[in-house]
Amino acid sequence: MDRDARRRSFLFLLVACALGASSAAAGELVVWHSYRAEERAAIEKVVAAYNKDHPGTTVTTLAVPFDAIADKISAAVPRGKGPDIFIYAQDRLGGWIEAGNTIEPIDFFLDDATKARYLPTTMAAMTYRGQTWGLPLNYKVITLIYNKKLVKAPPKDTAELVKLCKSLTDKASGRFGLAYAYTDYYYHAALQNGFGGGVFAGGAKPQLNSKENLAALELLLRWQDKDQFLPTEPSVALITALFNEGKAAMVFSGPWFLGEIAKEVDWGLAPLPNLVEAGGKPIRPWMTVEGVFISAQSKNKDVAYDFAKYLTDLPSAKIMALDGRQSPANKAVYDDAKVAADPVLKAFKQQVDVAVPMPNLPEMTMVWGPATTMMNAVTKHGATPKAGLDTAQAAVANAISQLKKKK
Amino acid sequence: MARPAHVRFAVGVLLAGALGSGLSFKFTREAVRHETADVERRQAVVKLGGLTALVGRAGGDGDALRKAVAAWQAQEKDVAQVRVLVMAGLRLEASTAAADAGDRAAPRRLQREEKPFYDRGQRLATAVRTNREEETARKLEIEVAPAATGRRLSLAAPVEADGDIVGMVEIETTELPPEPAEPILPYILAVVAPLAVFGAGALFLGRRRWPLAALAVACVGGSLVWLLTTGTAHVEAARLGTAQRVADEVKAQAGLLASLSAPTSTPAPPAAPAVPSTWDADAYRRPLGLLTADGAVDKQKLAEVGRASDRALRRSLLSADGLALILLLFVGLGGANRLGRTLRRNRQAYLYIAPAMIGMLILVFFPFFYGITLSFTDSNLYNTNQPLSEIWVGLRNYSDILGDFSIVKQGEGGSVVNYLNFYWTLGFTIVWTVTNVTIGVTSGLILALILNTKALALRPMYRVLLILPWAMPNYITALIWKGMFHRQFGVINHVLQMFGIPALSWFDHPFTSYLTALATNGWLSFPFMMVVSLGALQSIPADIYEAARVDGANRWQAFKAITLPSLRPALVPAVIISVVWTFNMFNIIYLVTAGEPGGATEILVTQAYKFAFERYRYGYAAAYSTVIFAILLIYGFIQNRVSKATEA
Amino acid sequence: MARSRREEQIPHGPLHLILVVATLVTMYPVLWVITIAFSGKQSLAIADLPPDPSFFDRLRAVIPWPQHWSFSNFVSVMTDQPFGRWLLNSIIVAALTTLVGVFLSCTAAYAFSRFKFPGRRLGMMSFLVSQMFPGTLMLIPLYIIIVQVLGLGSTKIGLVIVYATTSIPFSVWMLKGYFDTIPKELEEAALIEGASAGQIFWRIVLPLAKPAVAITALFSFMSSWNEFILAATFMDKEDMYTAPVGLRFFVGGFSQQWGYFAAGSIIVSIPVVFLFLYLQKYLVSGLTAGSVKG
Repeated sequence: MDRDARRRSFLFLLVACALGASSAAAGELVVWHSYRAEERAAIEKVVAAYNKDHPGTTVTTLAVPFDAIADKISAAVPRGKGPDIFIYAQDRLGGWIEAGNTIEPIDFFLDDATKARYLPTTMAAMTYRGQTWGLPLNYKVITLIYNKKLVKAPPKDTAELVKLCKSLTDKASGRFGLAYAYTDYYYHAALQNGFGGGVFAGGAKPQLNSKENLAALELLLRWQDKDQFLPTEPSVALITALFNEGKAAMVFSGPWFLGEIAKEVDWGLAPLPNLVEAGGKPIRPWMTVEGVFISAQSKNKDVAYDFAKYLTDLPSAKIMALDGRQSPANKAVYDDAKVAADPVLKAFKQQVDVAVPMPNLPEMTMVWGPATTMMNAVTKHGATPKAGLDTAQAAVANAISQLKKKK
Repeated sequence: MARPAHVRFAVGVLLAGALGSGLSFKFTREAVRHETADVERRQAVVKLGGLTALVGRAGGDGDALRKAVAAWQAQEKDVAQVRVLVMAGLRLEASTAAADAGDRAAPRRLQREEKPFYDRGQRLATAVRTNREEETARKLEIEVAPAATGRRLSLAAPVEADGDIVGMVEIETTELPPEPAEPILPYILAVVAPLAVFGAGALFLGRRRWPLAALAVACVGGSLVWLLTTGTAHVEAARLGTAQRVADEVKAQAGLLASLSAPTSTPAPPAAPAVPSTWDADAYRRPLGLLTADGAVDKQKLAEVGRASDRALRRSLLSADGLALILLLFVGLGGANRLGRTLRRNRQAYLYIAPAMIGMLILVFFPFFYGITLSFTDSNLYNTNQPLSEIWVGLRNYSDILGDFSIVKQGEGGSVVNYLNFYWTLGFTIVWTVTNVTIGVTSGLILALILNTKALALRPMYRVLLILPWAMPNYITALIWKGMFHRQFGVINHVLQMFGIPALSWFDHPFTSYLTALATNGWLSFPFMMVVSLGALQSIPADIYEAARVDGANRWQAFKAITLPSLRPALVPAVIISVVWTFNMFNIIYLVTAGEPGGATEILVTQAYKFAFERYRYGYAAAYSTVIFAILLIYGFIQNRVSKATEA
Repeated sequence: MARSRREEQIPHGPLHLILVVATLVTMYPVLWVITIAFSGKQSLAIADLPPDPSFFDRLRAVIPWPQHWSFSNFVSVMTDQPFGRWLLNSIIVAALTTLVGVFLSCTAAYAFSRFKFPGRRLGMMSFLVSQMFPGTLMLIPLYIIIVQVLGLGSTKIGLVIVYATTSIPFSVWMLKGYFDTIPKELEEAALIEGASAGQIFWRIVLPLAKPAVAITALFSFMSSWNEFILAATFMDKEDMYTAPVGLRFFVGGFSQQWGYFAAGSIIVSIPVVFLFLYLQKYLVSGLTAGSVKG
């Protein structure tokens, strides 16, 4: 504890010095991100604009492959190396905060006007145990993607969905009304959330076997076994192939899927249908939010925050949306004429209004394994929904309690 | 040029004395300083406790608060400054700091450079909320840190109102007295005196080895034991005053608070009943319990705590002494001399090996010993910043791993195998390793033998094509293999169906899932074995075969009698190494089966990875890794014994 | 003469059969990589099956052959990013690794093979032992040593040290085994003629151990060639990345461009093939063997 405290006060000193010396001179900022292609071009455009507007400050970017960036941050930042700012999704947030010395809290900088710029749910994704740790940049969410040739009007609720799917499904010739990676817990969570369930109940208490989650799983089994409009073993490759060949009329997937669609398919986007089974509540998919985080070791936190604010401001958001094909977390950008006219951005915005931020608790990594096993077992009838959920719940609860075991 | 025994022992006595005395000095000084720091900290915490109670009573903000704080500061000579934060609106509510005067006087909004002050408040508030929610004590609720300048302490505690945290009180002590210096003289004496006594004794004993050894041990041992007793006495003395001083401080604070009783417009809020004895608390605001309710020293409790820390000190002093005696005997009995001679005599050999060895030592053995140390702790995501001694759990991780025999669990519908059990994973890892290495070595060797055939057409082409699996990034080839086993798209199932065999769900059953990984890894690893075998085959002189043929041996006999033995020197190391690699072949399992179904095809190293990075149990994962290491080490020794691979 | 007659006795037909089968099995996944690379598409799954596929539909699906040939993936890989630069970095790092690794392991292995000294077995064992601790948990310790302590972040030397160190244990064991097979009489003779230890090593032992040195070189080269995570973690400048780091930009995260990755993989494999083509003359039968007993 002593050492930690000393480090903290040392940090205080550093910050004090840095702020005292450089508040006028600004300085250099390094930004790490994992973008390539058009996203990278977009962020570089924003950075160039910032550098032009702010003589005296030089922002440079470093692209790091997605598979390496999280480990690189975990290795470098707590040791006083690394960037001033990094961009990453919220799923690692809790882990980095608990490990300490990685991310700087920004409540002190954050005023109400800035806070109000973003979609509230994206802001929630940046919040961990009551503190705010980053500015939301963009979000990704799954929605309904349909083949316009096969589906004239996308279904509004699950009753319409089932009816439509049954009419479109012909298993003998390999045609399915709906295809999505339903055995993948990430996708299944949309149903769970729709019923009002979820992974955690307040803090890090797992509630995988709640009655809402059970209802969601039972609905999925009904679709799979009774209504039979879903393909078996729905891998991403299978779903892509089915949709591109016109054999899947509808798909639940996210923006990453759009690049995979073949040119000859005429597709449209619509919000996920409402759940008749849950009194007409919407299906609520998980959203992944990429945030702009300030390194706890940055010597230029003031300027870093200024840049983070700039990067998530309206003009930048417009560039990130139109050039980078991202869905910005900035609300105002959707009032922009060009963005509003973009059917894709518009559709994801519509969907995100009911989406739930994926938990940013570190305990979430303990959920994936048992949840995946459970989804496979239940959809292949290796376990009843109740038993499957109970087993998964026990496994997750056990893993978490091991972590908090006192000596 | 061996030196006589009495000279060796004299040198030994000097070195051992210096080592033992030096270490004793260091440990004792640290213990005394720790005791001093403890009393400083506790006194300051009591003051902070009193002030926090006062702030709580004054309502957490407003003029009444500022007045109360000013009055408290006026009475409290050991505190240099008090600052009170109100979180809402980022306000500095009250301050007695010299810098906060004039246009910076409280109350005011915090300025940009005061972010660390605000963040500290936030951190405490989050800590309290987290601890309450989890019903644990894992986040610090009182922060004690050295202040920015001088030898001062800066302390902070949260301020509560209506059950939630609304602000923070921060105090900075005045300059503390300098750290007590441990007198150095006894320690110098402890080096010189034994040397003198030994010198005198040696005059009588002459050059007789064992009597000299006994004398030397007695001299050094005696002086070190003396240091041990004086050292622990010092620490006890330092501790003795502590409790009383803290108790006095509690009384003083209670009195101060009573005297400051403001015109009782508002009664003390019930949330924080001021029980002065609870102000003597740890960093989680849990009373230490060393004071009785009326503020007197609880002698019995104190003695218990003291005994525990005395034991720790004695243990480190004794181990230092042991080290010194080992050094003494090593030097005295001629070990050092012999070591020097060996180093000189084999200078060339050691020089040749040194560069490779140094690289190895730095890059491999440091992390390795760190890992082993970590394996004895409960290090995890939630306590990474605590010192290792506080999370030390001894062998618990090992007993958890090795002591769990529940391989078969009783589930609904009969018994099921618990795939996450260590012994299942170990068994699977062994099967995985044996089959993989067998396949790799056999196919590599056969192909190498064929490719070594003289005058075989197209040899260069075959050779190049056959090493391609090694040349390509295995990230993509492993995923291609995984794709080949896909239920609907995989070519393997297509081929099965072409011949009317129903398609298989390869990853649904442990055995078929294992086959997919085996196929992938066999494909990836045989080129290496083939190349090694090709190289090894070059070491066999061709005329030996000729001689064998003349002797009438057939081809199989020649292979057994000549080829295999000649391949041994190169193949045995390759086999040992590939056993080690395959045992720890993380990528293929991770990419191809990902442990499916349900963790049945995990190997030990992927399991260790999951414990570290999915369940954040670093200590446990380190123990897992150490077990892996131990298993391989045993294998290495057995294999070495059997094959004599290190022999020329 | 007798020897060559004997070799001719082995019928080559079955040998070719085995080799062809082995090569086909070996090449099959590689052909898929090639197919994906030249398909101009980004998906890992290419197969396109009609409902109720016939035998021939399935046969078509299992034959790796793109529906359309296209170089677009290769063009994109080389032009989207400074891939040429990264390839050059990789070559420099791998070449240095090979040089350092082979040199250090040759000297160490020679000492282990020729000198009798205390700690010899222990030394050999410790090289082996160093391979036994699971490497997956080593990223942060290595980062601390290389970047924090030695200050070699964003340098090629930092990577070379790590890669060479990982390749040394096997190389030492391999070379030591090979040195053991070289008769000592040769060296003793040279010693009598007044050659120094260095001369003996360079002029006599090393040339005879060429096959083993070639293997060691190839191995050292490969231990750095496809490594990704350390290179990505140690390098803080984009123009210092190596080719495997550059390749990983295409996959990972939500969208995966397997076509680019496959094309890049093929480009990355080419230098290895050339290296092997160069080294394989040392692995060809009968080059050095006869002269040993000479």
